[in-house]
Amino acid sequence: MSVPDYMQCAEDHQTVLVVVQPMGIVPEDQFFRIYKRISSVSQVSIRDSQRVLFIRYRHHYPPENNEWGDFQTHRKVVGLISVTSCNTAKEWPQTSDRFHGQKEVFGSTLYDSRLLVFGLQGEVAEQQRTDVAFYPSYDDCPDVEKRVEDFVESIFIVLESKRLDRATDKSGDKLQLLCVPFEKKDFVGLDTDSRHYKKRCQGRMRKHVGDLCLQAGMLQDALVHYHMAVELLRSVNDFLWLGAALEGLCSASVIFHYPGGTSGKSGARKPGVSSAADAGKRHRPGALTTNAISADTSTEIGRAKNCLSQEDIIEKYKEAISNYGKYKSAGVIELEACIKAVRVLAIQKRAMEASEFLQNAVYINLGQLSEEEKIQRYSVLSELYELIGFHRKSAFFKRVAAMQCVAPTIPEPGWKACYKLLLETLPGYSLSLDPKDFSKGTHRGWAAVQLRLLHELVYASRRMGNPGLSVRHLSFLLQTMLDFLSDQEKKEVTQSLENYTSKCPGGMEVISLPDGLKLPPVPFTKLPIVRSVSLLNLPASLRPHKVKGLLGQGMSSASPFIYSPITMHSRGDERSKKIDFQWVQGDVCEVQLMVYNPMPFELRVENMGLLTSGVDFESLPAALSLPAESGLYPVTLVGVPRTAGNITINGYHTSVFGVSSDCLLEGLVGVKSSGCMVEVVPSLPRLQLCTSLPRSAHLSSEDLSTSVSLQLFNGETQQLTITLENIGTEMLNTLELTSKTLSTKEKLFGEFLTWDLQDALSHLPLKSGQSVSIPVNISAKLDFSGQENLLHDLNDDGISVTGLPVSSPLRQVLKPRAENKPVGTDASKNEFNHVKTLEAVLTFKYSGGAGEVEGYYRELSLGVRVDVEPSVFFTRVSTLPATSTRQCHLLLDVFNSTEHELTLSAKNNQDLVLHASECQRMAIQVDKFDFDSMPVMDHDALRLATVRQQEEKRQQVQGGLINSTLDIHWTIISFTKGSCPDKTASVEGVLNQLILEHLQLAPLQWDVVVNGEPCDCDMIADCRVGDAVPLEVKLTNRSKSAVGPFSLTVIPFQDYQNGVQNYDLQDAITFIGSNTFYMGTVNPTENSVCVGALLFLYTGDFYLNIKFQDDSTARDLPPAWFCLPSVHIRAQEPIQAAA
Amino acid sequence: FLICVAIRANYPLYIRSVPTQGELKFHYTVHTSLDVVEEKISGVGKALADQRELYLGLLYPTEDYKVYGYVTNSKVKFVIVVDSSNTSLRDNEIRSMFRKLHNSFTDVMCNPFYNPGDPIQSKAFDSIVSTMMVQAC
Repeated sequence: MSVPDYMQCAEDHQTVLVVVQPMGIVPEDQFFRIYKRISSVSQVSIRDSQRVLFIRYRHHYPPENNEWGDFQTHRKVVGLISVTSCNTAKEWPQTSDRFHGQKEVFGSTLYDSRLLVFGLQGEVAEQQRTDVAFYPSYDDCPDVEKRVEDFVESIFIVLESKRLDRATDKSGDKLQLLCVPFEKKDFVGLDTDSRHYKKRCQGRMRKHVGDLCLQAGMLQDALVHYHMAVELLRSVNDFLWLGAALEGLCSASVIFHYPGGTSGKSGARKPGVSSAADAGKRHRPGALTTNAISADTSTEIGRAKNCLSQEDIIEKYKEAISNYGKYKSAGVIELEACIKAVRVLAIQKRAMEASEFLQNAVYINLGQLSEEEKIQRYSVLSELYELIGFHRKSAFFKRVAAMQCVAPTIPEPGWKACYKLLLETLPGYSLSLDPKDFSKGTHRGWAAVQLRLLHELVYASRRMGNPGLSVRHLSFLLQTMLDFLSDQEKKEVTQSLENYTSKCPGGMEVISLPDGLKLPPVPFTKLPIVRSVSLLNLPASLRPHKVKGLLGQGMSSASPFIYSPITMHSRGDERSKKIDFQWVQGDVCEVQLMVYNPMPFELRVENMGLLTSGVDFESLPAALSLPAESGLYPVTLVGVPRTAGNITINGYHTSVFGVSSDCLLEGLVGVKSSGCMVEVVPSLPRLQLCTSLPRSAHLSSEDLSTSVSLQLFNGETQQLTITLENIGTEMLNTLELTSKTLSTKEKLFGEFLTWDLQDALSHLPLKSGQSVSIPVNISAKLDFSGQENLLHDLNDDGISVTGLPVSSPLRQVLKPRAENKPVGTDASKNEFNHVKTLEAVLTFKYSGGAGEVEGYYRELSLGVRVDVEPSVFFTRVSTLPATSTRQCHLLLDVFNSTEHELTLSAKNNQDLVLHASECQRMAIQVDKFDFDSMPVMDHDALRLATVRQQEEKRQQVQGGLINSTLDIHWTIISFTKGSCPDKTASVEGVLNQLILEHLQLAPLQWDVVVNGEPCDCDMIADCRVGDAVPLEVKLTNRSKSAVGPFSLTVIPFQDYQNGVQNYDLQDAITFIGSNTFYMGTVNPTENSVCVGALLFLYTGDFYLNIKFQDDSTARDLPPAWFCLPSVHIRAQEPIQAAA
Repeated sequence: FLICVAIRANYPLYIRSVPTQGELKFHYTVHTSLDVVEEKISGVGKALADQRELYLGLLYPTEDYKVYGYVTNSKVKFVIVVDSSNTSLRDNEIRSMFRKLHNSFTDVMCNPFYNPGDPIQSKAFDSIVSTMMVQAC
């Protein structure tokens, strides 16, 4: 006996073996259908007795095994059912002969046989033979089961008769010695009369009867016989048969203890057919039955004595196996006994002991096994280990079995079987084929072993001729085992992966195996590893802005409260968080990934693009190659949204080593993301900006799209032409331009940037591809004053402050100032050469297309940076009263800080030529200003909050007025050839309050009229000696408050032009009336006149000095307010005058 | 000769073997022996009296090797595989080796920078294992 039946279990001992065989040509599927129907009759209760017969069917049984039938009767083929096709009656005799031939094979042991003939009907069927059944076809055979039952019953009759025949053997008869095939020659020539021999015969026969009893369903008898057999055989040291008897004892006990069966096949055994006896069988010894006391207590007690306890079963099995172990030729028996014991232990849940039995089974050497048998053996071992919960052992043996399938000695390796077995080992090595199971937490399982297994899977699937599978497995290996691969292995794996994918590119589809297993796709989330995903805003110039105030934007928050201390934290869905910028339909959008390459070689990633949802998105794939073991490496993926709405970035797809994979962000570990949802607004036009000036590299802030920079002298103006071209697809409908000067500490006078947009606006709407240009004037007008310290107080001259009416001759007396002193020292020069920078931003707001409807616009900003070089400085400014009270002289010390010679001109003044670094004084006569009559205070000014601001504003306006009046220009002579326009210089910065006061008309306006003529400064009034000269002094109050009362005293004097003034003129002049006038209070905007008269007695030049006496001591009016014109009167002879 | 530490989830934290060429075979041996360890642990659970004993003894002998097991109270498993022909190592020696191993493992776990579940990379642990291997061979 060489072929073990690995499916054996203890209950098989009580079955009878029936072989079902096809005869002649029977279609396989038809045969197995019939076989199935036959084998459904697995237990038959016998009519008269209350016993049940169990049948075991085999469609193939080696005759060698049949020879062991005497040893254990369940190995004996007792029935044969042949299935055959027979189409014509002519074939029938031949078929019949063959049936007889088949019977011969198992002839010695057969109790009965049957032949099922399909396809034959009629004439032959008439010969009534009990052992032949005819059916018209395979489909039309309703009573097959019935026939099989009859057949089984006939077998039972034979079995029962045999049992009775053997059981009632008279002891006097000479017993035949039962023996197993290999013993036969040992017993040749043995003394058959010895007591020893007899005992042996008896023991063996007992055992045989026990087997028969067991088969015939008489468990109790069987136990008794077995016990007797054990004792008999033990005394004669017949170990093999002792083992068999012990095993029989065990089997019977197992059948008693576990009526459900030990094979694990639930349907195999139906305990329900039964009768009272069967029910009684299941009662444990001593247990109370439902009807209190069992019908036959004696059997109950006997059974309790004979039947082995659960522990004893194992003990006996051990003994039996050790007895079998003494015979080499009984290897199969030993192996099967082990397996049976394991099954029993599995039911008892005694895994450790079971594993010992299995361990033993492993070492049983069955001699030369065929490869197929080896595979079967390992598979069964694996199944048994699985049964006792040793999943790893089970996996180990399954793998060994798989390897056996493709052992080099096999001429036709069964790669498919190998692959299938390998797949079954996966759970034992805690491997699954879903990469998601490996994405979380630490790696599970035994990496080195898993690695090996995966390699084997790859190889097996390749040899199976399914490259798709091997690509999938190999990518799985690479993805999940990356951390455990050495550099060399990484190289090898990727190389072979590339080889495979060249034949069969890997994809993302689920591969289904024929047996229903599904291989989920393996995205390469580790090649490269993505560390962070961030969506990038559009460049500043392309960002859409929402028109404010269109809808209540603040109302978007869900809370009804304006302010709530509870902020709605939504920690969980950080990924789905919306990002607070927008993308624009039709514009290229960017997503930045930080990736790194964990491989020790350069990684080429192709076709890397974005996976999105929500909006039509045209992904523009990128190819990149990452250097070996790179650090974090930024990769920008781009795409164009084609419709508006909310877009969600779900992940990215790559193609690495020919395997394309879709990596979803939610499945990635350790990815930082600031949110993946972005609103896409409808399309907007795009403008491109270019300027007439070269663009500068320097961008002061990232919001600027472009920037220009230029150099100007202080006071210079330059024109900049900005050309805007619509490079988008949408029509440009609106355009606005605003400017903002970046705050500098420099004080800026006048408008820095001025433009005219009207021309450009007339070109709107601007179609795609069209352009429009806008001229912008840049004028740099900074403070022209020198440093503060250069403007030291003007009082040192002592001239202007006093407000004394200084006549023009006095001016010449002024002590000369060191105005021509060259500013020589370098230090002071540097102070002037300090270049100042002005910066401003021009912002174009434009909109159009669908985006405009939604209320979006775009901004394009141009930075303008001007380096202002100093040109001229007014280092000192002062005023001198002019001869007229309505005028004054403005003295400016002008310093040329440039390297060039320049000319300076003011209104109605001649040009002044200044050499480089030269300082000269320039005097300009100006009319005093009447600031009060200025159109002050527009609405803006009125709104200015503080008095201080109003004051500043007023000063600014006044400065502007003065400046426009002065109209000072300078030109650099060497540059005048060009088209450089005049550069203006502004004095605004130099003016301080003091000077302004001087330049202002006094609020009290005095008009002196002599002889009907207004008298001022250098005007000489003529009169005749002897005539009364009327003198009229008129005061007009322009101040805001009432002034007065005053008293005026007129004092005449003569100036000899040599510094001597003669006031002693009582003889020459006489007053008609008083020389003192009284002037009452003058209210604002009113005037008051006092009139007197003079009589000149002699000819000559006289001056009148009008003196004040202010009554209102409380108020100190500035003396400058009382600056009355001096009156110069020339009295002449009447004739002279007439001439 | 091989030493291995596996934690509850039955994946290796540390494996070291001499000679290194047959490593995969060792891996298979230890991997399958975990079945026995698990079975023993679940058996111990029933018999409370036995709980103090961490040493599991000989797990099973194969043709060439003897496999010994040890389980801490927190179900960390230690497995030592020795050559069958090595008779100098008796049960007692193996037991003391396990104890040493356990102490050293505890030290590793006490390291605040050690991330539970990561493979052990401690040098101190390495050297303890090395000295044990030198003794055994």
